[in-house]
Amino acid sequence: MFGLSTYEYDDDGFRTCGVTDLRIHKSAEDLVKLFGVTAIVSLAIGGVFALLVAMTRWEVVGLLDPGQFYRFTSLHAWFMILFWMVFMEIAILYVGGPFVLGRKLSLHKLGWAGYGIMAFGGLLAVYSIATYELPNQAPFYTSYVPLPSPAPYFAGAVLFLVGAVVAAVPFFATIWREKRENPSKTLPLITFGAFITAVIALEALAGGITALTPAFLWRIGFIEHLDAAWYRQMFWTIGHGSQQINLLAMITVWYFMTHVVGGAEVASEKVSRFAFVLYLFFINMGAAHHLMSDPGVSAAWRMWNTSYAAYGAVIASMIHAFAIPAGLEAGRRRKGEGGGLFGWLWSAPWKDPGFSATILSIILFGFLGGITGVMMGQMQLNMNWHNTLAVTGHFHATVVTGTTLAFMGLSYYVLRLVFGRNWLGGTLASVQPFLYGGAMGLVSLMLMYLGLLFGVPRRHPTVMDIPGTSFDFSAAEPFFAVFAVAAVLAIVGGALFVLIVVGSLVAGSPFSGGPVVDDDAVAADGAGDADPVHDQSMRGTFTLTLVFFGAFVVLYALNWFLLSQVWHIGP
Amino acid sequence: MADDEHSPLESPEGDWWNQTVNRRESIWLGISGAWAVTLFSWMLGWTQFGDQNQTGQTYKISTERFQEKVQAYKDAAGTLEVGGEEYLVPDGNDVFVGSRQWAWDGLPVVLKPGETYKFHLGSYDVQHGFGVRPEGNLSKQISLQIIPGYEWVVEMSFDETGTYHVVCNEFCGVGHRTMHGTFLVQDHDHVETGADQSSDDADQPTGDYGGWFTGDARGAETPNYDGSATDATDQSEVTVDVGSDTENGPYGYGPAALEVSPGTTVHFEWASDGHNVLVESQPDGADWQGVESLESEGYSESVTFEEAGVYKYYCEPHLGMGMKGVVEVV
Repeated sequence: MFGLSTYEYDDDGFRTCGVTDLRIHKSAEDLVKLFGVTAIVSLAIGGVFALLVAMTRWEVVGLLDPGQFYRFTSLHAWFMILFWMVFMEIAILYVGGPFVLGRKLSLHKLGWAGYGIMAFGGLLAVYSIATYELPNQAPFYTSYVPLPSPAPYFAGAVLFLVGAVVAAVPFFATIWREKRENPSKTLPLITFGAFITAVIALEALAGGITALTPAFLWRIGFIEHLDAAWYRQMFWTIGHGSQQINLLAMITVWYFMTHVVGGAEVASEKVSRFAFVLYLFFINMGAAHHLMSDPGVSAAWRMWNTSYAAYGAVIASMIHAFAIPAGLEAGRRRKGEGGGLFGWLWSAPWKDPGFSATILSIILFGFLGGITGVMMGQMQLNMNWHNTLAVTGHFHATVVTGTTLAFMGLSYYVLRLVFGRNWLGGTLASVQPFLYGGAMGLVSLMLMYLGLLFGVPRRHPTVMDIPGTSFDFSAAEPFFAVFAVAAVLAIVGGALFVLIVVGSLVAGSPFSGGPVVDDDAVAADGAGDADPVHDQSMRGTFTLTLVFFGAFVVLYALNWFLLSQVWHIGP
Repeated sequence: MADDEHSPLESPEGDWWNQTVNRRESIWLGISGAWAVTLFSWMLGWTQFGDQNQTGQTYKISTERFQEKVQAYKDAAGTLEVGGEEYLVPDGNDVFVGSRQWAWDGLPVVLKPGETYKFHLGSYDVQHGFGVRPEGNLSKQISLQIIPGYEWVVEMSFDETGTYHVVCNEFCGVGHRTMHGTFLVQDHDHVETGADQSSDDADQPTGDYGGWFTGDARGAETPNYDGSATDATDQSEVTVDVGSDTENGPYGYGPAALEVSPGTTVHFEWASDGHNVLVESQPDGADWQGVESLESEGYSESVTFEEAGVYKYYCEPHLGMGMKGVVEVV
């Protein structure tokens, strides 16, 4: 595939990975390359749109006029949240299933067919965004009816989702065959995580097709009327459901990367799997938090769906927040890689961009994305957040600072382990995750300040010159300036990533490294601690999670204080 | 790899379900569970002891019917002039806010501090967002979704006096950013309200065209309307530029208002791109179709007006810039 890999397969199409000991089959690996490279190309294009959008909202530059802003923001959304994320996630399914199980990809032709349908649908959607004319309007990500988005847009979106379903079938078929052959064997944790991800993805995709198909029929005039509240409810099954796919795929990547690069082990199979099962039952209903300030659903409905459902998922996330660093701590302690409270962290391979991207992703996602997600998911607090830039800040903390950074870390290892290429750039590659993560974290923070403290609305090209009034948001200008500078830095960090990846693919030297953490050698020295994982001290992780919990409580209290200052609303 | 390594890439061996869980991990599980219960309880509790709950009755209602209700409310409302601007004074404690592309109907309104009002929020066309904040404190802000087909009644009362700004924060089309309204919280003397006082409308000054050029009607205020029509009653042919310059850019009809005699031919000539001419209203018996398609510079269309009366028209994409016009046949 692409002729860029340095690896050879045996006669059966398998090869053994020198780092992970995994037996990898060509049928799966070809598709991982195809979906992975498509994702990274999309990231590069989406990054260009990011620059245009950020430089418009920084009104000192004020790059685009309003019409262009609406159009380019829609394109930015599609290339990032749909192409970059979803193509990468299909690749992750193929890694988590066939790679980890050492199997061929069953029904692999469906993988190719799914790719084709996704690509066609996606291109149709972005083409219609790029060329729509009045009376059509920019769809953004939501294409809320009855605002008229172009009809081909809806068709393209439906096809894209159908393609993703088709591409998921080979993954399920692979798991099915594994279980038929080894009915009593437990799936490895990574495969289990990928499996839960895929089930949640199917629910989300089914919801999306249910919402967007009638929207298409309405737009071409086949259906006369579509209830806007119904559409919102159905849309968010995919709209937020796809973010749950990002979340689960990211967590699976966290388990994978901390193990491969950092030598992490599983602290407790039972607890980690229990957390995945909690997601399976609860997380999709968490999408209800998009309707917290809606008239279309009752207060009881809103309370119920952001209570039992969301908190089942919140517990699951908090479990992973402990289990993953604890696995790293215990694994490294066992290998003699660190004593004291945080020795296991100080001794970690921070210069390895695969490692640093993963750890930064965990920290920034938790503090910035996770906490804020719970806050806006509380019915009353949602009034403060709804449709302001704070929402944009939240999802730039989750999808961008969290998931994108994790996927970048994974990509560095796809370069090594799938394409057999060392990455170029040396120090630049080591710095890249810090530059990107740090800047993006700052972007997210500024957006949240702008939204919560100044009420700056999202989806506005400019807020310093609302026509026909002397009212504006100029008090927020300093925050916009910091936002803009950080955004430029983040885009530089993203561009650096793309350059390193593309450069390494074309000109990287062959990768021939062994395990990153050579635990056999360590064990031979007798430096490691032979006790089982669960008997290792997890006091470093416990300290870190207590700090996290403290931040959670403080931010939660502050947001309620902010809300309590508002005038009396409701009975 | 060490033999007893617990790798996430391998099937766990033995009785993994019954393996001991680290004590600190168990404690963390307890903290997480307790925190989840706390979050839930606080949210439920706030509906009882908190002052900010976006709950209220929702009614299914057609957009047309909701528009009628807002109109009836406006007819019954009194008016109060504050600082040169005219505010509605609600008749009772129900306040109707109608959202449309791209203006707030029913605003501006003046409300008394401490009084509890029922806000009726609804839309005439697409989804909008009711984002509100007092002028002096931007961090005291809330946002409520407005969905066409639904009327949401949410109670509010205000202690802090002053101007509150309403911006639309759900994307609603090209004019979205122009959609702004205000209400004023302040004590005032008694103002006559009720259905009969709407007869005052008969006294409205000539040249107002029922408020067509103000922000109360569809779209924004028309910037290039100076309060009187261009008199062309002595000409048999007149030209109106479509997309002529205004202070907001090339979004005006020049002239905005035109008086002609019966039988006059008006040439609509496009001076910039992307405009149309949609007829809002015309006298009984008239049959002007307007120009529905969006046309570019150089296009022109001629119409001969016979029927006496007021013809109101507007440009669909640029209503938010107040691109509205009138031809009156006298």
